[in-house]
Amino acid sequence: MREHARHRLSRRGLLAGAAAAAFAIRPRPGLGAEEPRLNFYNWDTYIGETTLADFRTASGISVKMDLFADSDELFAKLREGNPGYDVIVPTNDYVERMIAVDMLQPLDHSLIPNRANLQDAFADAAFDPGRRHTMPYMWGTLGIGYRKSKVDGVPDSWKWLFDSDRYAGRCALLSDASTVLGAAIKYLGHPLNSRDPAIIRQAEELLTGQKRHIRTFAPDNGQDLLLSGEVDITMEWNGDILQVMDEDPDLSYVVPREGSIIWQDCLAIPVGAPHPLNAHAFINYILDARVGADIADFIRYATPNAAAKALLPADYTENPGIFPPDATLTRCEPAIYQGPEVVRLYDEAWTRIQAA
Amino acid sequence: MRIPPGPLEFTRRTWIRLVLLATFVFLYAPIATLVAYSFNDSRRNIVWRGFTTRYYERAIANDGLVEAFGNSLLIALAATVVSTLLGAMTAYALWRFRFRLKPLCEGVVMLPIVIPEICMGVAMLVFFARIGWPGDLPWPISLSRITIAHISFCFPFVAVVVRARLSRFNGELAEAARDLGAGEWAVVRDVIVPHMRPGLVAGALLAFTLSLDDFVITFFTSGPDTVTFPVKIYSMVRFSVTPEVNAASTVLIVVTITVTVVAMWLQNRTRSGAPP
Amino acid sequence: MKPGAGLLHRVAGVVPGLWLAGFFLLPLAFVWVLSFGEKQGLVAVDIVWTADNYLRALDPLYLGIVAKSLWIAALTTVICLAVGLPVALGIVFAPARWRPLLLLLVILPFWTNLLIRTYALIAVLRTRGHVNATLGWAAELFGLPFEPLSLLYTNGAVVAGLVYVHLPFMVLPLYATLHRLDRSLVEAAADLGAGHLRVCVTIILPLAVPGIVSGSLLVFVPALGSYLTPDLLGGPDSQMIANVIERQFKSANDWPFGAALSFLLMYVTFGALALRSLSVRRPAVP
Repeated sequence: MREHARHRLSRRGLLAGAAAAAFAIRPRPGLGAEEPRLNFYNWDTYIGETTLADFRTASGISVKMDLFADSDELFAKLREGNPGYDVIVPTNDYVERMIAVDMLQPLDHSLIPNRANLQDAFADAAFDPGRRHTMPYMWGTLGIGYRKSKVDGVPDSWKWLFDSDRYAGRCALLSDASTVLGAAIKYLGHPLNSRDPAIIRQAEELLTGQKRHIRTFAPDNGQDLLLSGEVDITMEWNGDILQVMDEDPDLSYVVPREGSIIWQDCLAIPVGAPHPLNAHAFINYILDARVGADIADFIRYATPNAAAKALLPADYTENPGIFPPDATLTRCEPAIYQGPEVVRLYDEAWTRIQAA
Repeated sequence: MRIPPGPLEFTRRTWIRLVLLATFVFLYAPIATLVAYSFNDSRRNIVWRGFTTRYYERAIANDGLVEAFGNSLLIALAATVVSTLLGAMTAYALWRFRFRLKPLCEGVVMLPIVIPEICMGVAMLVFFARIGWPGDLPWPISLSRITIAHISFCFPFVAVVVRARLSRFNGELAEAARDLGAGEWAVVRDVIVPHMRPGLVAGALLAFTLSLDDFVITFFTSGPDTVTFPVKIYSMVRFSVTPEVNAASTVLIVVTITVTVVAMWLQNRTRSGAPP
Repeated sequence: MKPGAGLLHRVAGVVPGLWLAGFFLLPLAFVWVLSFGEKQGLVAVDIVWTADNYLRALDPLYLGIVAKSLWIAALTTVICLAVGLPVALGIVFAPARWRPLLLLLVILPFWTNLLIRTYALIAVLRTRGHVNATLGWAAELFGLPFEPLSLLYTNGAVVAGLVYVHLPFMVLPLYATLHRLDRSLVEAAADLGAGHLRVCVTIILPLAVPGIVSGSLLVFVPALGSYLTPDLLGGPDSQMIANVIERQFKSANDWPFGAALSFLLMYVTFGALALRSLSVRRPAVP
């Protein structure tokens, strides 16, 4: 889902230097018992190019970053106990699950003064009331990536993927049950997090009917299919498409007018983290304005950090792929964890769709 | 061709040659692509944008990748040594003894080959968590979880290979040695093990390969300090295969070829001095 | 038996047995027990010794997917055999100094990470990939019209990918069996006037049976359990049973059901193994 974007060495170098200078952690008395290490479990290419090195310069803590490929992996890995991670980056609906099973440590807000930099809308979250367990990291949308020269106008409706043979054999969907079914439910005009089996059934029928026109259910590599010309229109996460748009100006991204899924990745400290104080220091560092701007500029995802956003140029802040217009955003909803019965309904529907 | 091919000279038959050629093209076209794109001056393996070696520099400068690489080789070596030993013992025991539950034991030894990987991965995850295997061990002891899991799925392969080799052992050789006064241990050491050797080498190669390439089981047994090459690669390529990954893989191919050529050379040297 | 020998034998039998029991059967038992459990909330599982998970796994939906997986794995095995037998023959009867090299050439691709190999295969097969480029070039040479073929994201692509990944498993056992082939039989047949093909079918094929059986097993079993290949190369209907199992352990987060499906698959494989032990008396894997 997450990839870094273009290389713009000149300015990033400046930003990094400025960030390192602007920020310095002073050891607080009585807290210095931890070894200067930190294990960070993150998505690939989802951090600034020099962020970890700068943090080490600023704080003396060396960060070791490991990568996971999807939230399910993160959850499965932590399920039987924390193997030693200090900071993890779960997505909103997994934050809910993790809080529900006490996988996350409550944060000590007094150690994260930089949370004042957050945009008001992100200061609290329905999935983590009072932000007791998480701080927002980046957010984004699900939408449609397409090749401009091969589609008619702007395909700003899920219809082209779910209910049309216009792009038969040239379109792809993602391969995640709740994402695809959720988008189909949005297209049918229902709320994203519908628990009603009849609605899920309706979405299943829609997809089963559409299946013969779909080239493949792409395991999160729709952007590659698009770039290599394998398909002309695909369901994907915005950051993925933004990245290939840099390489091929014929590609574009749109959030469908029916609305879509909006997601938020968060920074959290799992229970059993060996270095919780370092983890707090790291989270606070990430929320610094300069540091946040540096990261957002490099990975090209939407930052929830108002102070960081203010430091960035218009080609970032006014990019509709990163920050969709408000009118679109109001029709987007976050995925909410619905409990095991509903997850099972989605999974069985998905198995049937693929087997049909 | 001067003489028409004889009945045994299958390699000189045109259709066999064509099949061989087609197979090697099939096997190597992707590998060649992989190596070629490791020199591609683009961040993706889709369009050729010119020659560069900078992804090799990037791969080598990527500490995480190099560390994962080292972990993988270390684990693979340890797993190979132990599973070759265990496999040889298993094969010997299953070959030498007759007992009532032998068919059952043979079946159980096959289990690790049969089990779906993800199921074994989860089994290992649950197992190490439930028995409270310490998670904060210093490196390289911290690799013990992964190594143990690898040995568990590697040694049955060795056992199967060595067992097949032993089934062609001529029992008279051992008898003769005993008649000449050799103790049981001497028989094993001087007669049976030399006979096993090709099976041991083949089994060891197989174990090394399996361990080096395993992702699923390793994923569930690895922690922050114990990332292996496939785990690292997996999280990198799920989004996009970059030339950096290709470069790292090319290096791995070269390293494994070197190891094998040396191993084959050693085997040839020892075999020429040992009984067939 | 001399003293010392008993100890040796005990070690040979007991050490691997203990290892298998402690580091394989015990972990496996945890999952086996899970398959009789009932999900309580997100992570908790109550072991209530219910058969529900197995009953659910026996739903025609899942049996259909198992049947489809069996069919794909069988097709893969047959193709591997059809390709692997001539390849093994070619290697066995090659001049001695070429043999190790040819064998190495067969195993070598196997040492590249599975995922990377699969992505490399995608680069070869995709619409703007090398196969289509070559075909297009050939068509242009002869002045023929050419429309690039859609080779990826079909069941055919899955089978091709599985063959690609598993071919060495077939070639190696075949090679090991044929390598010890009694050449005098073949020569005698040729002396008696049997033709080339007739020698192949009547002499070599029966001699290769142990290799065919063990090779088929080593291809069929892993192919049945593969999920990355259908995931990456398959189309919208290429789901195999291991994909369903993987989802249970990940996104669906239903470990008891995933465990039940896994064990169902293992029972099926064990059935196949039992059939094998009926068909040949002695294992003759490489």
